[in-house]
Amino acid sequence: MKRINILVGALSIPLFVVAWEVIARSGIVNAVLFPPPSVVAVALVEWVRSGQFFLDLGASLYRVVTGFVVGAALGIALGVLTGQFALVSSLLSPLFHILRPIPPIAFVPIVILWFGLSETGKLFLVVWGVFFTVWLSTHIGVQKVDRGLIRAAQMLGTPRRQMLQEIVLLGALPYIVVGLRTAISISFYTLVAAELAGAFAGIVYRIEIAQQNLQTGQVMGGLAALGLMSFVADRLFAAVAERTVWWR
Amino acid sequence: MKQMVHRSEPALALAHPQPSLEGERAAARTIISVADLSIVFDTPQGQVIAVDRVTFSVAHGEFVCIVGPSGCGKSTVLNTIAGLETPYSGAVTVDGRPMQRPRPDVGMVFQQPHLFPWKSVRKNIAHGPRMLGKSRSEARAIADGLIEMIGLNRFADAYPHTLSGGMQQRVAIARALANQPRVLLMDEPFGALDAQTRSVMQDSLLELRERIDATVVFVTHDIDEAILLADRVLIMSAGPGRILRDLGVDLPRPRSNAIMLDPAYLALKKDCLDLIRSEGRRAFDQSSAG
Repeated sequence: MKRINILVGALSIPLFVVAWEVIARSGIVNAVLFPPPSVVAVALVEWVRSGQFFLDLGASLYRVVTGFVVGAALGIALGVLTGQFALVSSLLSPLFHILRPIPPIAFVPIVILWFGLSETGKLFLVVWGVFFTVWLSTHIGVQKVDRGLIRAAQMLGTPRRQMLQEIVLLGALPYIVVGLRTAISISFYTLVAAELAGAFAGIVYRIEIAQQNLQTGQVMGGLAALGLMSFVADRLFAAVAERTVWWR
Repeated sequence: MKQMVHRSEPALALAHPQPSLEGERAAARTIISVADLSIVFDTPQGQVIAVDRVTFSVAHGEFVCIVGPSGCGKSTVLNTIAGLETPYSGAVTVDGRPMQRPRPDVGMVFQQPHLFPWKSVRKNIAHGPRMLGKSRSEARAIADGLIEMIGLNRFADAYPHTLSGGMQQRVAIARALANQPRVLLMDEPFGALDAQTRSVMQDSLLELRERIDATVVFVTHDIDEAILLADRVLIMSAGPGRILRDLGVDLPRPRSNAIMLDPAYLALKKDCLDLIRSEGRRAFDQSSAG
C-alpha cells in the first residue's frame, strides 16, 4: 500500500506534463495560447542561453532579499518594542492595525507617484508587505513569552538589556520564525506587483514583455521560474528555521 | 522577633526597621523578617485579603516550611520575600534591607522548573553567575561544581526538554544556588512530581542542605513534606491568610524519608492534623452560620 503511494507520487508531475503535451498538440486547444511543455522548455533554454535570464533573476532576487531583510529587521525591532513596552504599543499599534489590512499591492499607484520606476519604489513595496506580518508575529510572540521564564531570569539578577536580548527575544523566536516564513511568500507577491508596475529587468518583468509579444512559451517559462524561486526560498528558510529554534 | 515589627501605613509603607539595641542583637541571627505583612488583591468581585497581618522571622541557617491549604496566601508571602510581589503593606526585609525587587542574594525555585529551553543544563546553571558579571570560565566552573553535586554529570550538555521532571527540578535548584544566595525560597518545588520521584527529591534536598549554607523557606501543602524537611513549620489558614501556629520540629538530623515512622514524627504530625482539622471545622461552621 505504501509502496504504491510512493510510486504514484513519483509519477504525479511526469503524468501531468505528458497530459499537457498531448492535449496541447492534439488541436483541441489553441497551441499559441496554450503551448506544450516542449515549447516552454525551448523558450527557457533560449532565455538562459541569451544571458538575459541571469540578469532578470539577479534583479528579482535583489529586490526580494533586500526588501525581506529590511522589512524583517524593522518588524522584529518594532515588534519587540510594542510587545514589551505598553506605552510604545499604545502609540504605534493602532496605526499599524489600520495600515496592516490594506493589501500592499494597492500601494502601487502612490509608490509610482512617489518613487517613479526606481528601485527604491520596488523595495518600498516589498518592505511594506514584509514588515506588518513580521511585526505582528513578533509583537504576539513577545507578549506570549512564558512569565515563569521572566520571573526565573529576574530572580537570577538578569539586567533589563539581557532580559530583552536573551529571554524575551529567544522566548518569542518560535513565533517570529513563523511570521518570517509567511513573509517570504508575501515578499514574492509584492515583487510581482512591483515589477508589473514597470521595471527594466526581472523575472516578472520578462513575463510581461513576453505576454505583450504573445510569446506564451516564455510566459509559462517565467511562471515556472518564479514558482521555483519561491519554492526554493521557502525550503531554504525551513531548513534554517529548524536550526534557529534548535531546542524544539 | 517582635522587635522588628513596626506599625506602618496600609499602603506602601517601606521604612527600614528602626535600629534598637535589641534589634541589632536580633539582626545578627535574623535573616528574614516579615512584619505585619498584609496583601489585598483587587478582583472583579471586590477586594480580597490574601494575606492578613502575617508576622514571622527566620534565623540564619534555618529551614522553615510554610504549610496551608491552597489559596491561603503562602505563595504570596513567599513571592513577597522574593521581591516579586509588590506593593505590600508591612515590612519584609532580608538581611535588614526591605524587599522591593528580586535580588541575587535571594534565590527561588518555582513549582515548574522554568528552565531556559534554549540553554543546556550547564548554561542554565551558569546564567546567574554570568548575569552577575562572572567570566565565562568562572561561571562554567561554578556550574560544573553544581552539576556534580546534583549528580547530572552525564547531562551537562543536554537540553531541558530531554530531561525528566525530577531532573529538570534538580537543575532548577542548582541554578538558584549558583549565585550563592543567602536565602533560598522554594514554592512547592516537588508539587508537580510523582510520589516516587518526590520522596527521592526530598531525600536529596535533605542531603544537599547539609552541604550548603543557605537559609531555606519552603512552601508546601503536604504536612509530611513539611515535617520531614523543616526545623520549623508555620501552619497557615485560608481566607484571609494567617499564621495559625509556629511549630518547632525537634527531630534529629541528618534525616531521610525513613523518619516518617518515628513516634516523635507521628506525634508532631498528629498535632498538625488536629490543628488543621479544628481550623477547618471552625471555618466550615463560620461559613454555614453566615
